[in-house]
Amino acid sequence: MKTETTPAQADVSEIDLVRRCQAGDTDAFDQLVTRYRTRVFAMIYNMVHNEQDAWDLAQEAFVKAWKSIGRFKGKSSFYTWIYRIVMNVTIDWLRKREVKAGGAEFDDAIQLKEIDPASKTVPKADPLPHQRMERHEIRDRIDKAIAQLSPEHRAVILMKEIEEMQYHEIAETLGCSIGTVMSRLFYARKKLQSSLKDIYENV
Amino acid sequence: MKTFEEKWTAWLDEQLSGKELEEFEASLPDLAAARAEKHDAQKLGAFLKQRLGTQTLTNEEFFNHQIRERIERDEQEDVSERGTRSSWWTVPRLVWCGATALALFLITTFVFLGGDQAEEQSDYLTQILNSRVDPAANPNASIYIFESNKTDNKVTVLWTEGLQSLPADYAAK
Repeated sequence: MKTETTPAQADVSEIDLVRRCQAGDTDAFDQLVTRYRTRVFAMIYNMVHNEQDAWDLAQEAFVKAWKSIGRFKGKSSFYTWIYRIVMNVTIDWLRKREVKAGGAEFDDAIQLKEIDPASKTVPKADPLPHQRMERHEIRDRIDKAIAQLSPEHRAVILMKEIEEMQYHEIAETLGCSIGTVMSRLFYARKKLQSSLKDIYENV
Repeated sequence: MKTFEEKWTAWLDEQLSGKELEEFEASLPDLAAARAEKHDAQKLGAFLKQRLGTQTLTNEEFFNHQIRERIERDEQEDVSERGTRSSWWTVPRLVWCGATALALFLITTFVFLGGDQAEEQSDYLTQILNSRVDPAANPNASIYIFESNKTDNKVTVLWTEGLQSLPADYAAK
């Protein structure tokens, strides 16, 4: 996984930073936050689709990480560990919001004929001034399609496709088996293929 | 044993090889259609990566600053909470209080309850409780025994039903 580092920071190994954090060094933790903040924020944003919520949840995840960093034994990589916290915080939040909303808003069932022909995106040949609008429209469609997935399915597809994590890393992050990860990937992909086919085939 | 979904996912992500790959592809009813779907899923992956992988965090330094502030605030709250909680109840005091309370409890138990228990159990009651009714000789027989402590004197009542005669070992001294 790529991290956000300055050349000076790159020299400091992650495990050194973790050890310093465990000794109570907040500056070291600040460096770890800098390394992971963009990825963590983007991951959460792709799950919740709201900038302010993503900001708050990312902060909550980092504060939790600081509080429990003493328990990090280094058996897994730090990013798997931090992602586990991020996922717990985000999935919990999504589940609570679902309860508040009074029922499931997720639909993991595959509906093969749900593509609306009228929703076809602007063709490639459109002039440049429309590109921003087009991007916005596409992003909106993707967000809506992802919002139809359960939090667990969202997490799996985003970690696999965006973070390019291995099955075992995803399993470790979500605390489930590799088989469960693969099965969730299967259904999440099928669902997104049917929801977004018209877009990714034309763009 | 992998499920179809697991095998399909592994195949799609190029995680199957050798015999496993051959067997899986042979098991597919329409390999050409499956390959087209695989290609489609890979396109979806690339599309998501391209469209979702660009989300940026604005005000990065403020983000760090807020986290530092929260951590400092939480730690100050923890320290002040610990300070108020541990003002009198230090660990040695807790240990001494616990030990004293336990000792008092044991003394009370032995002094006040131990003596009474020995007196409560009478020979008469034991004898009755140890007796048995022969169901062959007296099929409808039943015996109840209860004690009454309502007055100062303890009264033990033996209630018998359906007995032609009391067995000899029921004779109370």
